[in-house]
Amino acid sequence: MGGRGGAATQPGIRVGPTSEFSLFFRVKAGQAQPLRAALLALQDTPGYRPGDYGMAIQTIHEARFVLFDDDTRLAFITSFDGPWDAYMEDFFTSGPTLALFDVIFGHVEGYDGLPDVAAVRAFVLGAEQTAAAYARNYGGTVKEIRTAQRVNAAFQQVLDHPEAAEALQHPALQPLLDEAAV
Amino acid sequence: MEGGMENASLELDDIQAGALFERPSPYVGTYLLLRIADRADGRELVRRLHRLAIPASGAGSADDTSITVAFTYRGLEALGVPQTSLDSFAPEFKQGMAARAEILGDTGESGPDHWEKPLGTAEVHVAVAVLSSDEATLQAVAERARDAHAELPGVDLIWRQDCYQLATGRTSFGFKDGIGQPAVEGSGRPPSNPRERPLRAGEIILGYPDETGELPPMPTPPELGRNGTYVVFRKLHTKVAAYRSYLRDRATTRAERDLLAAKMVGRWQSGAPLAVSPDADDPELGSDPRRNNDFLYADDPSGFKCPVGAHARRANPRDALDGEGSVDVRLHRMVRRGTSYGPMLPDGVTEDDGVDRGIIFVFAGAHLKRQFEFVKTQWLNDGIFIGAPLESDPLVGPHHDSTRFTIARRPIRRRLQDLPPFVITRGGEYCFAPGLSALRWLADLDT
Ligand code: HEM
Repeated sequence: MGGRGGAATQPGIRVGPTSEFSLFFRVKAGQAQPLRAALLALQDTPGYRPGDYGMAIQTIHEARFVLFDDDTRLAFITSFDGPWDAYMEDFFTSGPTLALFDVIFGHVEGYDGLPDVAAVRAFVLGAEQTAAAYARNYGGTVKEIRTAQRVNAAFQQVLDHPEAAEALQHPALQPLLDEAAV
Repeated sequence: MEGGMENASLELDDIQAGALFERPSPYVGTYLLLRIADRADGRELVRRLHRLAIPASGAGSADDTSITVAFTYRGLEALGVPQTSLDSFAPEFKQGMAARAEILGDTGESGPDHWEKPLGTAEVHVAVAVLSSDEATLQAVAERARDAHAELPGVDLIWRQDCYQLATGRTSFGFKDGIGQPAVEGSGRPPSNPRERPLRAGEIILGYPDETGELPPMPTPPELGRNGTYVVFRKLHTKVAAYRSYLRDRATTRAERDLLAAKMVGRWQSGAPLAVSPDADDPELGSDPRRNNDFLYADDPSGFKCPVGAHARRANPRDALDGEGSVDVRLHRMVRRGTSYGPMLPDGVTEDDGVDRGIIFVFAGAHLKRQFEFVKTQWLNDGIFIGAPLESDPLVGPHHDSTRFTIARRPIRRRLQDLPPFVITRGGEYCFAPGLSALRWLADLDT
């Protein structure tokens, strides 16, 4: 496992183009309930709604918030395409992440809020823990996977055509024909 | 938007002209690298160079000559800058470019082991760029710059590289360069791309708020850091014959070859952007400074006009990534001051003549890591951001592993395979170009 060339300086393990990224926080005293409510509300926003696959940050594969230790701790765990170190400033200054930060991280210790970017940066760096082990079961960036899904949908549509078998006889289409039986 | 321009008051009298403004083209020039063996002589050198350096407020006429002065970390050390102050510089600057080679993709043939001496060594202390409108003036001024270190036995001239810019602005691969530049708030120059808000001054010049709304980390004391900027210079050898042969082998007509070449750059040779003129070169557009940078990419997300992997689109994706929520392009801009070195390979020649030719790539900006290093590593060397991890920049990427380049086209995309490296790093350095009063501060050090 591990990163590609030049990835050595960053926190977070890389598998192919994708990096894991985990943050662990302490929930402020008395904030467990409002935090649960905020996460429940988050689950009902575009991108987080069940069945919705359009998260605002388009380079993220998935993201989860986990409350643990009797709701005294919060973990934020995600995977995204690229070395997270390089994109840190972007995350801290661009819209969707910051909006999220203000809603969720206001309930945890150490977050003093915007607009002090240096403080937000220190806050995140302080909460980051690199995984001890990390594996992925498929390669590819979010962009590549979206393309692959689109192409497969198109291929299935072709196979549903009554003359598909005949159309796929051309030698140039052999690799597609090989994928057509199941 | 307009308000920002008025609010920012850049101290143009104290900023070296070269950091903000391009010299009128054409010009000829020389880069000099100096080593300071004796501290007192070094400071005397800085005192003399300070008299020759030109403030941004005095830049602009075609006949004058500009001298830009910058120092490496080792150079500041040699001048006796106190350690607390040295420690306040950006970590990448302290390490120097050679130490960052692995990260930057400067390995193999481009690795520091193969660099032209003394580039990348601890000997490089002072970098001086002298640019002039004609050879005679250049010689006169270079003479003055040389006088600045003559009679100073404690200062050695260790490298000299002549350079030039053709009237056409074209460089060795045949393309007009230096068009895409960010406008800077308070510089007094209007944006060449009216669709883009000028950058906050602190993105380019230290001592002013940057795009994050904060003051970028600035070397201390402020007398040294303020109005300075980081400068990157890289001597980049271009394999022009290999580049031409590669294109010739993949095109049947001249028009097809020119199109492939344009797709790799994102502009036609004249400078006309593919985003505006996708099907044919338009030299009038290419040479019109009011129109040749006036475009965005959002109307072409798949890259049918300008491929998403084209050099200029990678190096500045403009609005193409705005919807992704993870990247703010304004944090990754740069001022470029590239010039040509070595004679052009005559038209039509596809045999390598063994002559060294290419570009002296020069960057100016307040953030080495999130500007120069980010663009080089995330956008040019890597293709993750365009969803093509295997594709590095077709023109300037390191191409260590066989790389390919995809050109969106109806009905079927075209894909170029097995692109060899066309650009080899011959060496370079991270420097700091102080403001004019900071030059005096350095000359007056008494440590
Ligand atoms: C020998 C190497 C290189 C060559 C031949 C080259 C050539 C070019 C050309 C022809 C253009 C289009 C003209 C223009 O917009 O000014 C361009 C644009 C640009 N290049 Fe390069 N380049 C080289 C290396 C680099 C490197 C190493 C970087 C950055 C790390 C870089 C960054 C840029 C940027 C930022 C632009 C402007 C994009 C825009 O604003 O639209 N280039 N280059």
